[in-house]
Amino acid sequence: MEKYVYIALFAPLVSSIFAALFGMSSKKNFVGVIASLLLATSFMASATLASYIAEGGAAIHVTMMEWIGAGDLMIPFGFMVDHVSVTMMVVVTLVSTVVHIYSIGYMDHDKSFNRFFSYLSAFVFSMLVLVMSDNFAGLFIGWEGVGVCSWLLIGFWYHKEDVSPEVNPSISPSWAANEAFIVNRIADLAMLVGIFVLYWNTGSLQYDVVFAELPHLDTAILTTAAIALFIGAMGKSAQFPLHTWLTDAMEGPTPVSALIHAATMVTAGVFLVIRANPLYSMDAVSDVSYFIAALGTFVAFFAASMALVNRDLKRIIAYSTLSQLGYMFAAAGLGAYWIALFHLAAHAFFKALLFLGAGNVMHAMHDELDIFKMGGLKQSMRATYYYMGIASIALAGIPPFAGFFSKDAIIETAFNEGTLILWIMLVVTAGMTAFYSFRQVFLTFNGDHRYKEFGIHPHEMYKFVLVAMSPLALLAMIAGFFQGSFQEFITKLLPNYEMSHHTHELVYYLGGLVLVVAVSGIALAWKKYGNGLKRDEKCENSFIYQLLKNQYYIPHFYAEFISRPYALVSEMMWRNVDMKIVDATVDAIAHILYFSGDKTRKMQTGNLSHYLNWMGVGFVLLLIVAAITTVIG
Amino acid sequence: MIGLSHYLIISGILFAIGLVGVLRRKNLLMLFFATEIMLNAANVAFAAVSNYYHDLTGQMFAFFIIAVAASEVAVGLGLLIVLYKKFGTLDLDDLASMKG
Amino acid sequence: MDNILSVLVFFPAIAGLLGFVVDKGSARVYGISVATVELLLALWLWMSFDTANAGMQYVELIPLVPDFGINYYVGVDGISLFIVVMTALMTLLGMIGMSIEKEIKNMIISLLFLEMTMIGVFVALDAIVFYLFWELSLVPMLYIIGAWGGPLRIYASVKFFLYTFTGSLIMLVGMLFMAYLYNSVSGVWSFSLTDWYALVLPENYQIWLFLAFFAGFAIKVPMFPFHTWLPYAHGQAPTIGSVILAAVLLKMGTYGFVRFSLPLFPDASVMMIWPISVLAIIMVIYTAMVAYAQEDIKQVIAYSSVSHMGIIILGTFAMNAEGISGSIFLMLSHGIVSGALFMLVGVIYDRRHTKLMSEFGGLAAVMPKYAVIFGFMLMASVGLPLTIGFVGEFLVLLGFYEISPIGAILGGTTIIIGAIYMLTVYKRTFFGPVTNEKNKTLPDLNGKELTALVPLVAIVIWLGVYPKPVLGPIDTSVKALISFMHEKARSDIAKDTITLSKSVKEAK
Repeated sequence: MEKYVYIALFAPLVSSIFAALFGMSSKKNFVGVIASLLLATSFMASATLASYIAEGGAAIHVTMMEWIGAGDLMIPFGFMVDHVSVTMMVVVTLVSTVVHIYSIGYMDHDKSFNRFFSYLSAFVFSMLVLVMSDNFAGLFIGWEGVGVCSWLLIGFWYHKEDVSPEVNPSISPSWAANEAFIVNRIADLAMLVGIFVLYWNTGSLQYDVVFAELPHLDTAILTTAAIALFIGAMGKSAQFPLHTWLTDAMEGPTPVSALIHAATMVTAGVFLVIRANPLYSMDAVSDVSYFIAALGTFVAFFAASMALVNRDLKRIIAYSTLSQLGYMFAAAGLGAYWIALFHLAAHAFFKALLFLGAGNVMHAMHDELDIFKMGGLKQSMRATYYYMGIASIALAGIPPFAGFFSKDAIIETAFNEGTLILWIMLVVTAGMTAFYSFRQVFLTFNGDHRYKEFGIHPHEMYKFVLVAMSPLALLAMIAGFFQGSFQEFITKLLPNYEMSHHTHELVYYLGGLVLVVAVSGIALAWKKYGNGLKRDEKCENSFIYQLLKNQYYIPHFYAEFISRPYALVSEMMWRNVDMKIVDATVDAIAHILYFSGDKTRKMQTGNLSHYLNWMGVGFVLLLIVAAITTVIG
Repeated sequence: MIGLSHYLIISGILFAIGLVGVLRRKNLLMLFFATEIMLNAANVAFAAVSNYYHDLTGQMFAFFIIAVAASEVAVGLGLLIVLYKKFGTLDLDDLASMKG
Repeated sequence: MDNILSVLVFFPAIAGLLGFVVDKGSARVYGISVATVELLLALWLWMSFDTANAGMQYVELIPLVPDFGINYYVGVDGISLFIVVMTALMTLLGMIGMSIEKEIKNMIISLLFLEMTMIGVFVALDAIVFYLFWELSLVPMLYIIGAWGGPLRIYASVKFFLYTFTGSLIMLVGMLFMAYLYNSVSGVWSFSLTDWYALVLPENYQIWLFLAFFAGFAIKVPMFPFHTWLPYAHGQAPTIGSVILAAVLLKMGTYGFVRFSLPLFPDASVMMIWPISVLAIIMVIYTAMVAYAQEDIKQVIAYSSVSHMGIIILGTFAMNAEGISGSIFLMLSHGIVSGALFMLVGVIYDRRHTKLMSEFGGLAAVMPKYAVIFGFMLMASVGLPLTIGFVGEFLVLLGFYEISPIGAILGGTTIIIGAIYMLTVYKRTFFGPVTNEKNKTLPDLNGKELTALVPLVAIVIWLGVYPKPVLGPIDTSVKALISFMHEKARSDIAKDTITLSKSVKEAK
């Protein structure tokens, strides 16, 4: 079995290096094909491993070699395939295989075609390292690796110019890329601190050793570690207040948004919490876990609210990603780790599908993203319409599609735990989710053909791309039916979470309520947008609409109160402190020496008589010194 | 009775006269005279103190000084004559050629 | 080859002397051949080095002034071995990438002499020999900056010389006092480090001596607030000068802390942890901010060097094997990475004769190979895992976390603010549209530049993925150093702070 581990892990690396060899030459289709084949190989290997584990095989550990060894620290390149990591592996490799094939079509006209595949495969490799590592340092490799690949991919169209935030809130791809990297780094520092805490208290970074030591540690240490690791997760999963980068990251090519900023990388934070479940499920850190759930719920609601009014096709989907990540954190924080993982997987399928559909629309609309300028696209893009429809139904949580099962389970968990406020917020968010998903579908595909004003002639995507998207559509439809078997599979490793008897009795009412809320959200969307765009000036000028449209003014706040002061303080540090104080002091000392020499130089007149006079002065001074020392001594 | 202090006062006065000469005079020859006065002030003090302690070392030292002063004058005066021949003056204000 | 170290030290100097008779046209080839032989010798030293032995190897001792115990005394251990190898490597690659045409022969000779002094510093085991090489290294550098530098070269080179010279004179006083103390205890004169190690000093003497040595090392590193000579020196120096300065000369300071301050004055070192780490943290954050404000790419790299040196200092004073091994590894990685970055800045300076970021933009489209290599070095500089930069930084912060969690967090902000200024440089230089007409036709890296840079990229990845061949011997020697310090420390607090391996600690 070990060879499958290596195949699954290294096929994407090989693909990346292979594509990189052609990185500077013109577009070559075979690069995309070979990369996709290698990714498919990786998926096959992952699937083989998954079936092996599902059949009751023992978790596989492989240790390749020592990485860092200093003092007592020993970090190997160790990989582990168990129930959790194999689930992630299958999800990651499946979505990325589809995205690779999709990209062959989507990046068809891009002259940096080969470079794109190199980055994309490198990302998959990093993500696999992240999920497969058997220690925190290896996780951190993947963690930073996906960060840097995300930087490369968001900034893929680096040649675009910076524009003012009024024109494009992301300013430019390269700006958005830097923002993503730096915000992630803030969280990474916290993550490192978490790693340090665990190392100095358990003496190792291996998961098994660390988790075995946990019961012997103080509450304070556990709390610090839990908080620090969670802050790390917040950055990668774009939780408030580190969320702004995710919507700006939509500047990257759409396949990237589908793969990285929806299905895989942003779920790394959730994965970390799930992986560290022995820590987060301890009683000593129950407050931290509750905070995770509360923050997740808040973000679910907060992000959904911003999606309600946005006009940018990709940004709406990005907000919905944020919101769904909030759901996952809510579940993980409440102790329902397997439900969080289940939602993670289901979400990956329909969200990737949604993004890829959006990519088709962009392709058809010549990179126009404003849904107010679309409308009636279903005539020309029937397949995409169906895909987006399926994905939106799944996202909105309408049975029998995947989203219903996983999201409903999370809402039930909130009810089951008796955290009513969280439950209410999650139910309301479900309604909002349904509304904004269908607002977007209706504005894009139904109603009048607004794009005609702009002289655009939309056309459907290539056939093979549409075919490649079909597995995702299928999974978005049927993944929910596997809830039971997934629970059985995953709870061999993760703590099981069962609803109480009381909740169980109410389950149909609860599910019905959520369904009613979701359907009414869709109905409202149909009423407002089903027959084309009717703009409501009064509503659009209202305070709340403006507040949501401007993302609660948070990017503005960051720019004014963090970025600008930082730049100003830096400038001041350089020009005033470094040049005028530190360096000036050094120069002043040199100048004092120089000037004292320059001034006293005049004594050197060349006139012997003057010299003798100075000698007399010196003689008298020495006498005085001698006298004083005699008196004092 | 003439005691040690009288000699020392004389020596001090002589030394002061010599010092003032060194500081104020501009003519090199006069400077020589002034240094000679100062040396002799030291000689007086040596001899007096030597007598006071009944230790001949001080007087020996005075002889040494006299000898050194004599040879110094011999060399110095020679140099002065060369200087005078070259510049036509012994005034220090006109001899300043090594300005810093 | 028992006297390999003497060969390593004096071969470049003798070759440099012979260089005076070499024809001007073949001076560069001559220099590169000499540096290649030197590098091969250094690699041979590494290959034949006994990695399991923590002590000094290839020791040579020739009395110079026996009455005062001054000997030509050299040796190498895991701590100095790799710095020597890196010195030889960076000198060679710097020469290969060098674009200077003016007075090339004199440049080559200066570089070869500089190589002698640098290697001499790292292998010296006698304080006077160390001091001699330490001071001699200023001369070729003064000449390189002063003769081939930019418009402010005289100011910059004189500032560099006088500033570092002042510090090392204070250090010399410290050395003389140390020898005096040794004499008053043992009755014989000795300047040999191994003799001094055996001397246990009272704490008040330790503090004063520590401060005297600190003056020399801190200015060389350079630590805040003694760093202002560095931006001028880098700003005015030719590319080759900056490469050597950043890669090797700065390491003399941090190496001095490890070789002298820690083992000679363990109690004082522990007492000085706080003031020094405060300075180091200020250095990390403050210079990173200053770097962000710069308009000149080279100045950004120069200030970033200061910032990274702060991390190295933090690691040195972490007083545990993780931190000190990490800081020595970081010395190497910083040498490689900052050397490469300075070479890269030199590349566009050669093409455009400006280093201002505002003159560039969109270079990634014009010079893709250049952008890729710059990108690698950028990622190594911000400490991305699997590049050389991460290993040291991680170990240092991990090690310092034991001394002070808050300090480690503040020092750790380097991973954020380091990314801020580096990514800003990259964005302003490489991203965006090509706005300046002059940039549209810039040629990409040529063969000479690639020959110098590609090995560095390979090392960055190799030692990032598999640092063990280097980290292992370092760690062996550092562990010996730690247990020696633990043994020697007088006060309980020092014994407590200097952490032996965990198992030993728990057993007690």
